[in-house]
Amino acid sequence: MRAQLDEEFRDFMHGRWPAMVRLAYALTGDQGHAEDVAQTAFARAYASWPKVRRTGNPEAYVRRIVINENLNRFRKHRVAERLTDTLPDSVSGALSGSLAAAGAVDATRQYDDRSALIAALQRLGPRQRAVIVLRYWMDLTEAEIAAALGCSVGTVKSQAARALATLRQSAELVDGELQ
Amino acid sequence: MDDERDLHERLDRAFETITPRPAPVDGTIRRGKAIKGRRRVAAAVAVAAVVAVGVMTVPSLHRLAGPAPVPGSGHYTVTVRPPGPGSPAGLIASGTVNGKRWEIGADKPEAGHGIQQLYTSGPAYGPEDGTAVPNRSVGTDPVFFQPAGSGTIQSEYGTVRADVSYVTVRLGNGTVLTLHPVTVYGTRVIAFAFPGNAAIVNAIAYSRHGEISTAVPFNNPAALLVYFGVWLKPGQHGISRASGLIGSGTADGSAWSASADLGPWGFCVITSWADVKAASACADTFSQLPTMTMDSASGGRLQVSVGAAPPSAVRIVVHQANGTTTQVRPVAIGGQKLFAFLTGADSAAWNWTAYGSSGAVVASSAG
Repeated sequence: MRAQLDEEFRDFMHGRWPAMVRLAYALTGDQGHAEDVAQTAFARAYASWPKVRRTGNPEAYVRRIVINENLNRFRKHRVAERLTDTLPDSVSGALSGSLAAAGAVDATRQYDDRSALIAALQRLGPRQRAVIVLRYWMDLTEAEIAAALGCSVGTVKSQAARALATLRQSAELVDGELQ
Repeated sequence: MDDERDLHERLDRAFETITPRPAPVDGTIRRGKAIKGRRRVAAAVAVAAVVAVGVMTVPSLHRLAGPAPVPGSGHYTVTVRPPGPGSPAGLIASGTVNGKRWEIGADKPEAGHGIQQLYTSGPAYGPEDGTAVPNRSVGTDPVFFQPAGSGTIQSEYGTVRADVSYVTVRLGNGTVLTLHPVTVYGTRVIAFAFPGNAAIVNAIAYSRHGEISTAVPFNNPAALLVYFGVWLKPGQHGISRASGLIGSGTADGSAWSASADLGPWGFCVITSWADVKAASACADTFSQLPTMTMDSASGGRLQVSVGAAPPSAVRIVVHQANGTTTQVRPVAIGGQKLFAFLTGADSAAWNWTAYGSSGAVVASSAG
């Protein structure tokens, strides 16, 4: 029975690993951190796999841990962390590999756009960033986001509104003028 | 950025082309097994709240259960201090364990709510910071203590009654921590961290007039368990310490056992089965102990219930809802006859009858 559960977990992780790394990257802006956060989330899911699989939605379980790991990471480093205009090297590293895989034609323009978007997202607070990513990229409902963040739907709406207002004023995201 | 659809498209373009390295499944499973080995199921504590008493269950801990250790000297240092000017909002306390910093705090809750989530962070916790969902305090105790999070050290968080000016906590090596309550998001609280191998001797709550009461907790580092139960007024003596095995057997091919520990804290029962080395439950009185559930890594589930009978009981017959009966032998511990047996979670689905040496009924769960 344990071997069967392990095999089930392996299939699950193989299938959802890329999505969870992308989510973690969207939240952290750093692929090194993103993969570590995602692996931590999957490891915790494995530690409780018999229960997690019974929920019928193990992805939601892993997603919540990814979000909380990012919130905890922010809290741990908030005294020292300063948002700057210079993107970390790991973004470049993630970009070169993924662009090669994607076969992108206009690599420079995509790099600029992504860099700008990452910089703008990193200027948001961690909860606002999570709301933006979950709502406008992963297309979760407000109720699903509230469950993932452990807050009310009203809070999700207000966080989203404030985050959008901030992003609209972000110099990096002014239409047609990539920085 | 025109509208929300534009944002979706930009996010999609930005992230969908990210190609992570291949999933590190083997390494993840190893980490998961390590987490199972040291996790303190604080965030998953199920509290059977009973008015005026405290009950705590800590299921499915994968550590060897053992007798409550006698507080020893231990070589460790612990400090604690309340938040000072300029501290982050939500911080409850900080300090050091063996020179490494720790913090315990609360996330900002929803408007109109008290503390909804705790966090632990700092080098003292090793590679894992933690979060925990605290239970609302029940009863009228001076302090309602509960675990604050997982990690390489243990943490306790307590909601504090309004008349408590400060609380002292004595550790096994003689260190005395003085905890001053702070109000965080409308809740009066204290918190502290200590090494996983340290025992807590007692906690004393003081008002501005003097000592209010003392709690002597049950310590079991193997089960990552510190339980603060009964609070004793000055001059009041709690239950004398006693412990022993109260049930054992085999289920699904694996041995199970249940042991009881009685003392000034009340009553604690620690069970084990298969790869679940320590599931525990504690309560102020034995009758309040809930059924303990153990989930093995292979997906099996075992539930153990406990009972107490008069000293004259020599045989217990348990009647299950499915018509089966089980006979168990009660064990004399602390002036009572205690016993444990396998059952379902629904307490209404079973009952037991205790018989004396003459065959007469001396007690039953039906009253």
